[in-house]
Amino acid sequence: MESDHATTRGVEADAIDRAIARAHGILPDQGPIGVFIHHNTLHAFQHLPFHQGVEEGARQLGALPYLPLERYRQAHQAGRITARDIDEALDEAVIPGADERLPLGLSRRALWRMLLVSPVDVDDAEGLRYGLRRGSSLVASDLPLWEAALARVSRGPRYTPVDERPVRRHRDVLIACMTVDPDVPVTHELAVLCAGFLDQGQAQVCLPGRAQGFLAAVSGLYAAGAQAPRPCRGAEQDFHRIAIEQTSAKAVIAAALDALGVDREQREDYLLATALALPGWAGMFSRLECYPAENHAEGAASLAEFLAVRLVLERHAIESVASNASLPSSWTALLAHMPAIPERAVELDACLLWGFARAAAATPAALSEIPDGDLARLWEEVHTCSRVRRGAIWLEAWEAGYRRPILAALARRRRLPELSSTERPNAQLLFCIDEREESIRRSIEELDPAIETFGVAGFFGMAIDYVALYEQEPAAHCPVVVVPGHEVHESPLYTAQQWHNTRAAMRSRLHGLERTVGEWSRTLTGGAGLSLLLGPFAGVAAIARILAPRSSVALHQRLKSAFVPRPDTLLGGLRLDLGDDQPAYGKPMGFTLPEAIERVASVLRTIGLTSGLAPIVIVLGHGSSSLNNPHESAHDCGACGGRRGGANARLFADLANRPDVRDGLRALGIALPADTWFVGALHDTADDAVHYFDLRALPESSVAAFEQTVVVVEEARRQSALERTRRFIDAPLGLSPERALRHAEARATHLAQPRPEYGHCTNAAAIVGRRSLTRGLHLDRRAFLISYDPTLDEDDRVLERILAAVGPVGAGISLEYYFSSVDNERFGCGTKLPHNVTGLIGIMNGHRGDLRTGLPLQMVELHEPMRLLMVVDASPAALLRVAGRQAEVRELVVNEWVQLVSVDPETGAMHRFKAGRFVPCTPDDVALPVVRHSSDWHGATREFVPPALVLSGLRTVAPIGDSL
Amino acid sequence: MTDFAPDTLIRIALPIAIAAPIVSSVVVGLTIVGRAKDPGERGVASLLEAGLAISFLASAMSALLVAGAFGPATSVVHDYGAWLALGRYEIPIVLLADGPGTGFSMLAAGLTLLVARFSRTYMLKEPGFNRFFVLLGWFASGAQLVAFAGALDIFFAGWELIGISSALFIGFFYERDEPVRSSMRAFATYRLCDAGFLMAMVSTHELLGSTHLSALDDSARLPLWQSTAIGLCFLLSVMGKSAQLPFSGWLPRAMEGPTPSSALFYGGVSLHAGLFLMLRISPVVAVSPIVQTVGVLVGVSTAIYASAVARTHTDAKGALAHATLSQVGLILAEISLGLTNLALIHIACHAMLRVWQYLRAPSALHDAHRTADAGRAVPPSANPSAAERRTYAAALHRLRVDDRIDALAEPVLGLARWIDGVDRRFRRLLRRDGQASG
Repeated sequence: MESDHATTRGVEADAIDRAIARAHGILPDQGPIGVFIHHNTLHAFQHLPFHQGVEEGARQLGALPYLPLERYRQAHQAGRITARDIDEALDEAVIPGADERLPLGLSRRALWRMLLVSPVDVDDAEGLRYGLRRGSSLVASDLPLWEAALARVSRGPRYTPVDERPVRRHRDVLIACMTVDPDVPVTHELAVLCAGFLDQGQAQVCLPGRAQGFLAAVSGLYAAGAQAPRPCRGAEQDFHRIAIEQTSAKAVIAAALDALGVDREQREDYLLATALALPGWAGMFSRLECYPAENHAEGAASLAEFLAVRLVLERHAIESVASNASLPSSWTALLAHMPAIPERAVELDACLLWGFARAAAATPAALSEIPDGDLARLWEEVHTCSRVRRGAIWLEAWEAGYRRPILAALARRRRLPELSSTERPNAQLLFCIDEREESIRRSIEELDPAIETFGVAGFFGMAIDYVALYEQEPAAHCPVVVVPGHEVHESPLYTAQQWHNTRAAMRSRLHGLERTVGEWSRTLTGGAGLSLLLGPFAGVAAIARILAPRSSVALHQRLKSAFVPRPDTLLGGLRLDLGDDQPAYGKPMGFTLPEAIERVASVLRTIGLTSGLAPIVIVLGHGSSSLNNPHESAHDCGACGGRRGGANARLFADLANRPDVRDGLRALGIALPADTWFVGALHDTADDAVHYFDLRALPESSVAAFEQTVVVVEEARRQSALERTRRFIDAPLGLSPERALRHAEARATHLAQPRPEYGHCTNAAAIVGRRSLTRGLHLDRRAFLISYDPTLDEDDRVLERILAAVGPVGAGISLEYYFSSVDNERFGCGTKLPHNVTGLIGIMNGHRGDLRTGLPLQMVELHEPMRLLMVVDASPAALLRVAGRQAEVRELVVNEWVQLVSVDPETGAMHRFKAGRFVPCTPDDVALPVVRHSSDWHGATREFVPPALVLSGLRTVAPIGDSL
Repeated sequence: MTDFAPDTLIRIALPIAIAAPIVSSVVVGLTIVGRAKDPGERGVASLLEAGLAISFLASAMSALLVAGAFGPATSVVHDYGAWLALGRYEIPIVLLADGPGTGFSMLAAGLTLLVARFSRTYMLKEPGFNRFFVLLGWFASGAQLVAFAGALDIFFAGWELIGISSALFIGFFYERDEPVRSSMRAFATYRLCDAGFLMAMVSTHELLGSTHLSALDDSARLPLWQSTAIGLCFLLSVMGKSAQLPFSGWLPRAMEGPTPSSALFYGGVSLHAGLFLMLRISPVVAVSPIVQTVGVLVGVSTAIYASAVARTHTDAKGALAHATLSQVGLILAEISLGLTNLALIHIACHAMLRVWQYLRAPSALHDAHRTADAGRAVPPSANPSAAERRTYAAALHRLRVDDRIDALAEPVLGLARWIDGVDRRFRRLLRRDGQASG
């Protein structure tokens, strides 16, 4: 008996542990919003094949796995998805018995196609009736057929849709019984408690006793006499008991589940569903439990404690709601009260049948005579080709529609007889692989064909914990999959030390004052005094910043740099290995000489830049600055872990310029010409500014080459701004490049601007290969461009390094955008307009709701959600070898969370990875449009443009006509 | 010389200031409904901005005229006749151009124009863009009407325009449940409290013979209990509009609306409109020590309550809302004590400060990071006392005022449900009878 009891207890605890472990995996894995790292929203399901994974994940989170079908139909009507794409996707969907004849003489293929393109499977009977009366409904186009369909379906058999209503928690049944929502008071209460517990410095006082953990702090609060919300009355006593008995979180959960009448077998699923009911806050607890370093509040976060508090409140809310509605509050008893699905209106079935008849070109008479068995078979097909299945086919169709022209363009480009140039390039520019850099790279190459550009993951091999001047804590500047082994500090030059000390003291005093003023202004007396004192100034500031956003910020900057200029600094990138340095935070400061040589060599080899270096090499990291934008960090460099890549670029250039590093490189077979100089820089993708670092060290012999390059970059950023601003509907088309740049600058400084830039909105592809095979192609800022020279990579190690970084980073960005687009309310965070920063860790709508995770509507509104198309200049065999060594890459590719196309470096033959193997794919042999300049191609439209060849972007070219 | 009298100009400027915004709202509405030509977002914003700019210019003009910039203005009250006359009762159209009125008008018109300019960018591509700007027009006219009204009836019209647009802005994102619930709460609070305004207005008419604001000057003639009753009714209305205790619950919920509307309403004009009413009825307040006492008590307790709540609020907009509320409570106390000039200046400066803070609220994170070198000031919370916990909980839960009001409303709602049930049963009975006889 005793042991029996113990076993049951053990099983019980296990069910709770298992549920919490599963919740950790599924809950949104987004940390405090100050650092936004793109990741696969459904990372927990990545071990499943893509379609299965998204369907399962979406079901558990109550979200949509694909766009709503009407959105695909709109894309079809707008020409973004063609009839051919749909046919190809239907072919690939491998429909069993595709050509089988079904009733009405329809082939199964034709029937599925109709279900895809015609909006006949609807749920809104009222809307249908209204449309019929108005004559605006689809079925009104053939009324006799409609009458026949209506008459036929009313004789039966009828279509019975699958009951998709979730029945996982009390609340699901209760609201189906039309009671008030028991989650509302629970959410309100939890939101303020969680925010008080996790607050990183917004409120002046936080949850008392939060150092002891969430459960202890909350129960202490109630034990001291706090009142529970009205529908949760009774929770006070529970919390009081917990406070006295110091009950563990798991015991509280077990007791609450018992009180709610949840059976032992149902515990795991019930608790998981409870954890997913408020995904934002639960996810933040989960994240901070796993990454305690991100938690700046003194209490340790624990998902179990969150669930314990939730269940205590929820139990009482459920009991009061259920008893008000005369329903039982025991889960098993309540289940029996789940109301039946309401009867389906006959018009809805008739509409489906009407669609079939139209597709089969059947007459009303034929329709009336359709036998019962045949009708039932048709309904069976609607079940098989379910809405989710249709979404999957639409997605594949859209992907095919993007893939075909891009592969065709790449194949054509490859055949172009480009006369290889042996001349030394004027300059070489290293950019991040980011697709937003594609336009500025193309512009630079157009403006000076003798400049070469490269794409490399934007941390430039410098995985560091970086501490910028005035920063307090190190920040990891590298892809999230890497843990930096070194720390690098920015420090003032010796000669600027004194000014730095003065300025730093002034700065911190000023910031202290600013903060105090902010806090005072919210107090009773301080608010009164400061209103009278500062009110008029605030009015002037508001007017200036709203009416003249760009000039007012520029004036401020100019004044600042005139009177309190930032001191000159240097990076402590290299460490003398004397064995006596004292690492702060336990990490060595800077690289040793061999480490530095190894890292620089590795980057140069990765991009294939081991010989023929130009006199000037500019290394550009990127970042994005915007105002009034809690999601600012989401526009920063993904390869730098959601930070700005300027420090990495600067460090790379600094190391590569050192004679000792160059000596080491020479020993490795990489001889840098003596006149080559590296310059680090930061490209701001919001206002298209380029800031160069350490120009004071520029040798006189490099000045001319540098200035010549800067002239090109200056013009290129105007061209790039022009190409970019055409996507903003509030920027007129046909601006001059200069005006476009000013428009971009104004956007970045405008307090009211919810779209300072469109970020990765256009991402769709990643091309890994030599730039010489994509140079001159207009890719419309849609492709990550990764430089890789397979001819220099004998053992695939370089390819492995590239894919290990680009695979997860690229897929993370692409999939985050995918999910935030297909269901912006659940996977994304909805419109930015009512967002309210809370606890400095996240945003919510209103003042006590769930934390919103994912991307806002304004960031994804232009996005065409599809899986990243990776085109790699490597043979299938090489790719399979790499996938064999890199588990994460393998998972992404084999489970098809990315699309992978191999281009043979020798022959150019293409193979696509599909259903577990590489299958040959022959690109269309269609002409590639040829234009003189990029702007000739995109200048007149705000929409996406297909690939084209830009003649002036080619380095040297044989004469060709207006198509290739 | 006299044909260019300032008085004539004021007579022209006042109606323009009031009507321009709502006229542009109507024009926008007509072009959209009439589908003559889709004005587009840019067109709608420009139309509204034009209306608001005209209103602002007219308002500034009358302010200058009233201040005597173009020669002394002689009359303050401008009578435009009666809107409606029914026997003894009439709704007079009387406008009042005085210092406080033009001041409040300039403040409201200026802030609305600024917020419209902000929203042109902020609200772009939002499905409710047109609705937002049309509502802004209603609100701006309402605020001008309140500023210039010379009689309680038209004051009430402006008051209601502000109220309804406020409720509609809170429920702006009506696809979600929470904004709708919050909007209902604000609306219900306004309805309840505006009953006070109506009662006060009717009483004024009955007892003082007119609803002209100037009639209130005679309230010293009335017996104390009558003037006190009128004053308290007005005060009820002020407490609703300015979210004073115990009606503070709707204010944090109002943060569901888009940020610029939160700035304009709860940082800028709407909360302060209640105070402006208080200023307008100051003759009544002045004669009744009871009204003064209640006003001071309500104001001071709200001020203390709100500043305590602001300390615990972890969200940028909610903290600002309560910070604003604490000043509004303070100003209510100032007016109750008769410090009307101080109150006016306080209102103007405070509104500007808060609008600026609201509009910058999304930068909270950015600012915290930027000023991190000043040291983090996370207050310690080890071993808190029970009193500390209780105080925190009371502030965090906002004294559960909403729950208490809900509990009070419960019997009323129960009665309504019961009546509804009876009604439904009665109808069913009738139908059955009808079928039986047919």
